[in-house]
Amino acid sequence: MKPAGLDREFVIIGENIHTTRVVLLQGKLVDKLPGGEEGVRYVDEQGQQRHLIIPDFIKARQDYQEGRVKHVLIAVRLAMTGDPEGLRYLHALIQRQVEAGADYLDLNIDEISLKLEEQIEAMRWLVQMVEGRSSVPVAVDSSNLEIIRAGIEASRSPCGPPMLNSASLERLEALDLAAARGLPVMVTAAGKRGMPQDAAERVANASRMVEAALAKGIPKNQIFIDPLVFPIAVDSNYGLHCLEAIRALREKYGPEIHISGGFSNISFGIPLRKLVNEVFIHLAVEAGADSGIVDPVANNFRNLFLADRASRSYQLAAEMLLGRDRNCKNYLRAYRRGELA
Amino acid sequence: MAELSDIQNDFIRQEIEEFILKPEERQRLIDLFASASLRMQAIAAALIDGDNETVSNLTRQALAEGVGALEVMDYGLIAGMALVGIKFRENFIFVPEVLSCARAMKAGMAHLEPILSASGIEPVGKVIMGTVKGDLHDIGKNLCIMLLRGAGFEVIDLGVDTPPDKFIDAVEQHGAPLVGMSALLTTTMPNMGKTIEAFIDADLRDSVKIMVGGAPVTQDFADDMGADGYGKDAVACVALAKRLLGLSA
Repeated sequence: MKPAGLDREFVIIGENIHTTRVVLLQGKLVDKLPGGEEGVRYVDEQGQQRHLIIPDFIKARQDYQEGRVKHVLIAVRLAMTGDPEGLRYLHALIQRQVEAGADYLDLNIDEISLKLEEQIEAMRWLVQMVEGRSSVPVAVDSSNLEIIRAGIEASRSPCGPPMLNSASLERLEALDLAAARGLPVMVTAAGKRGMPQDAAERVANASRMVEAALAKGIPKNQIFIDPLVFPIAVDSNYGLHCLEAIRALREKYGPEIHISGGFSNISFGIPLRKLVNEVFIHLAVEAGADSGIVDPVANNFRNLFLADRASRSYQLAAEMLLGRDRNCKNYLRAYRRGELA
Repeated sequence: MAELSDIQNDFIRQEIEEFILKPEERQRLIDLFASASLRMQAIAAALIDGDNETVSNLTRQALAEGVGALEVMDYGLIAGMALVGIKFRENFIFVPEVLSCARAMKAGMAHLEPILSASGIEPVGKVIMGTVKGDLHDIGKNLCIMLLRGAGFEVIDLGVDTPPDKFIDAVEQHGAPLVGMSALLTTTMPNMGKTIEAFIDADLRDSVKIMVGGAPVTQDFADDMGADGYGKDAVACVALAKRLLGLSA
């Protein structure tokens, strides 16, 4: 989409159909229903408020007992057995992301099961179901190439070829699959033996991927780079590592290539994640990113780039993300004092 | 049994008052700090505040004036970290704050380690840590290592993408009684089970305890794989390591 406040396109890869997604049991989206069940509240495609009932099979799980409800996992499991509520829930996730401007719907079912056959079956099913409802293509996302391959093979590409998410130095074969089928592909900055430790290593790894993709005939404008985003909570320089890599890669490869990333990783472990994510998206775009694997419903891209950059909250988050707030001290102090909006 | 008012350091008294709500934990910390000298309390307070310079200076001073390295470790550093761990578990503080305390701990330990090793004092325990085969993620594992070292463990870090035989070789080479495995991906989690099987095949399963962790890992999964324990984060990892080696918290 082309968001207001930005003079170019921003390719939104909606991340909401991931089996890792969680709502809090004590949070405002979970209601206790008259029959005694608990339900995740949502608005269906017709605008009707409904509940996805939390089924018993989920209640034995540790995440549930610790107060986290894996709602997408529930919906996929239910829908695959023909349950209409599960399906309705997924339809609503599709519709809301498309309406919010998503250009791709990223699908990740890695947590559905630990059995590869079940993961493959779920990915195949989900790709076809989503493609049957969505007006934008899917992105097939997994940490296992077999699952990606299954999703790609299941795709009928009704509204454009699926994106392959992702290829990296540890699985270069993924590029062959993308090249053979003419797919857009996400390449990551992961190394062959480990994660990159700084901006230079990100640029080096990502460059090898880009060169390999180009050599296989994948056009520049079909390549998306994920520089890898690590939590600022762990190291005050992690924001800079990513931003500097974006800047260098944009300079190196020019305007055609896409630079993306899972920007919400940056806020893991600190409060007010939405604020931090939005500021980080701003900084990433300033550095040269033109895409993101993001939640377009939570982060409203229609006005995200119009935010007040002079506000104290924005400034504190930006300072933290630019490596100028050691151990996030000022940010967390302001948070505790209730000074962050 | 000591009373809160027996602790002389104002900051520590306030911290316990405000953040330590479970009665048995509260009593344990009150007993601990009330029996610590004033200067040990000051080291713990600086650690809880994440002030590595002060921790470093006070530790050096204490050692120079004849305080034993073990006393500084137990009553200054480990005592302070125990309080930090509870604050984190109860969501009063966030990851960056635990880390700054852990770095302060490390600054203190840097002065203690040469003395402890020169006087032949064994580390609290030896742990082999690694991310399982096929998985390159190490942020969580590295946090665990940092806190384990802070708590006085000797840690042998095998890095990422660790095949089962590398874990086994490390256990044999270092004689470590404890192994920690990490995985961030559901697609690599099964390699925890494979590594445990390799320990069985090598006839070593009974001589080590095995703990597992990582975002998608659960207690149920740990039980199914035959691990001895599961920790949900780095603070829990330290508590688990102590429990598995039969050390008091």
